[in-house]
Amino acid sequence: MSQRTERRGIHVDQSDLLCKKGCGYYGNAAWQGLCSKCWREEYQRVRQKQIQDDWALAEKLQREEEAAYASSQGVQSHSQSTPPQQPPGHTSLGPFSKFEEKKTNEKTRKVTTVKKFFSPSSRSASKKETQEGKSPSPSISRHASFDTDQVSRDFVDFLKNLQKTGREIHKQCRAFIMNMSSKKDLSAEELSECVQDFYQSMADRLMSHFKGSSDSVEQVMDQVEKYIMTRLYKSVFCPETTDDEKKDLATQDRIRALHWVTIQMLCVSMDEEIPEVSENVDKAITDIIEMDSKRVPRDKLACITRCSKHIFSAIRITKNEPASADDFLPALIYIVLKANPPRLQSNIQYITRFCNPSRLMTGEDGYYFTNLCCAAAFIEKLDAQSLNLSPEEFERYMSGQASPRFSSSEGDWPHSGHGVTATNPVLAQLNHNLELLSGLSSRQETLMESARSLQADLLSWPDTVQREVNDILEKYPLEVRSCTVSAIDANNMDNDNLPPPLTPQVFAG
Amino acid sequence: MAAAGAGGGGRTYSFKVVLLGEGCVGKTSLVLRYCENKFNDKHITTLQASFLTKKLNITGKRVNLAIWDTAGQERFHALGPIYYRDSNGAILVYDITDEDSFQKVKNWVKELRKMLGNEICLCIVGNKIDLDKDRHVSVEEAESYAESVGAKHYHTSAKLNKGIEELFLDLCKRMMETAQAEERVKGNGASQSASSRRGVQIVDDEPQATPAGGCCSSG
Ligand SMILES: Nc1nc2c(ncn2[C@@H]2O[C@H](COP(=O)(O)OP(=O)(O)O)[C@@H](O)[C@H]2O)c(=O)[nH]1
Ligand SMILES: [Mg+2]
Ligand SMILES: [Zn+2]
Repeated sequence: MSQRTERRGIHVDQSDLLCKKGCGYYGNAAWQGLCSKCWREEYQRVRQKQIQDDWALAEKLQREEEAAYASSQGVQSHSQSTPPQQPPGHTSLGPFSKFEEKKTNEKTRKVTTVKKFFSPSSRSASKKETQEGKSPSPSISRHASFDTDQVSRDFVDFLKNLQKTGREIHKQCRAFIMNMSSKKDLSAEELSECVQDFYQSMADRLMSHFKGSSDSVEQVMDQVEKYIMTRLYKSVFCPETTDDEKKDLATQDRIRALHWVTIQMLCVSMDEEIPEVSENVDKAITDIIEMDSKRVPRDKLACITRCSKHIFSAIRITKNEPASADDFLPALIYIVLKANPPRLQSNIQYITRFCNPSRLMTGEDGYYFTNLCCAAAFIEKLDAQSLNLSPEEFERYMSGQASPRFSSSEGDWPHSGHGVTATNPVLAQLNHNLELLSGLSSRQETLMESARSLQADLLSWPDTVQREVNDILEKYPLEVRSCTVSAIDANNMDNDNLPPPLTPQVFAG
Repeated sequence: MAAAGAGGGGRTYSFKVVLLGEGCVGKTSLVLRYCENKFNDKHITTLQASFLTKKLNITGKRVNLAIWDTAGQERFHALGPIYYRDSNGAILVYDITDEDSFQKVKNWVKELRKMLGNEICLCIVGNKIDLDKDRHVSVEEAESYAESVGAKHYHTSAKLNKGIEELFLDLCKRMMETAQAEERVKGNGASQSASSRRGVQIVDDEPQATPAGGCCSSG
């Protein structure tokens, strides 16, 4: 975000602003430098191409399948074999023939309750707003189609084990996807209902096929979800018809504004001073951020589950007892605040709308997902009371006038860290470094002190020496005694031609 | 949805049950006693006690029970609806030595009935009966209240492992009855309407007629 603001200041040549197609209108970076009209054409072209590619692939897979079945079932089933070049989407009259007609009226109460809770208060996101910042580039969609192919191949491989039923499932899924691609104008809720209805009727069929073995049904349903949602992801994740994106941005801003919330305010039982705990906290943050990169609802759920398991480990290490919901929810809220996961609302909505409901409802993944929904709702509604703060305090922190970390100890900051260290490992490190620095500076002070006294000593030393020498000289002045004759001279008294003895000369020191 | 994957015959019932009640009344203790048969034990093997499951076999029918613990702190009260949506049963726990906690249960009952109607099986549980000498909620009052709101009342002690097995078994039986009743209604009134709208159609008309809008940014 900061980068974007920086870039705004850079001068851009006028010609760079025009549409790359040279049509004369202004282009937009979000549309790869094209104007909206040229972009739409280009996008449409790539999309068209992709649809054709998908068809080609689907037909190729169908042929491969036919070949595979032909070789595996050989002679016995010639009466059942379908013409190899069946028109795509054709519904056969096999055991699944009434597939789509079997409409269950229980429908989607399961999803709607969640949806209601998160339902937007205003559904009026303007198109212009929604398009800003989004850049579905044709090249990305090309790249994505490679993964999609792989998923299709895996799906066919999986279904081969189910023989004839597998083939029927594949046919139904393909037909469903093609059908969905003609329903671009449906609202997100309607799209969700289509997918949920499809899951439901597929699950019902499978249930009678597998004679009530819900494990087998779940297994197939997982693959069906993966296949279908990989294909539909781009058109149904955060669709233009919703204000999901607006909510994403609101949540992101909200979490940023709450940066001052401490682990103590949330009463989280995780002690990040313990290295193993802080390691788990980091992993939990990574997992929840990773959710956005997955396309299949179940894969997104798996990220939430991994995140939750790391939180449980952190709590278990801190408290030495299994985490209850009382421990888990605050900890998850803390992780979400720290991670600020990208497109949180869109991801929650996408999972709610398009995940296989049985997984969401009673399964373990569903429990963690529900807690994530709770965390998001809590953060949205969070107020002074939820953090045991006075409204005034809350206001001051929200407006940035005060920060709970330093407000108690202004002035004395290098030594104030002790109460805070549990809050934040970065802060703890910072305080630790500050302490080291202040220790270092006092040692340097001492060093300078001694150096200065050494210098003073050195300067005064010659004086001292001088004074001492003078003192000594004064005490013991050199007396020059006119000495008569030395003994040697006495012996040579008669030797007159000797030079006179050297007289000592006094040099003043 | 009552009983995902539930049905007649040899099918498996899956039930979701939420634990509601004030902090410290013994929700976590109850479920740990039921699923791990432990109380205040430092050697509990489970990593967490917030989501636990139990497989049962009741009169030849398989039941998968998922027990959802909920955060009991007051500041999370508003999140209740997210937790208890789609529940087949709710266990509302109070501490018999704490009158306030019984009042909280009454509030939960009101809210659940308002939001989920009669589809949900309610259990009101007076826990810590080992502390009967400090009892502050009378047995008669609690039981007659439960009856008045169509809930069943149970007396338990997680500490002494009293009444817990009965509580869950009874709840499962009631949820199975509810699911079977729902199944019957559905069987009679199954409608085929609105199926045509979603019928499998071959997409051979011009897809470019619908502007893609370039909205769905890919991950
Ligand atoms: N005497 C007694 N104490 C209990 C019983 N059940 C739970 N406790 C204690 O009550 C406290 C709170 O229990 P906990 O399960 O954490 O309650 P929660 O907050 O509702 O999950 C703990 O200290 C338990 O040991 C019981 O049946 N008898
Ligand atoms: Mg608890
Ligand atoms: Zn242009």
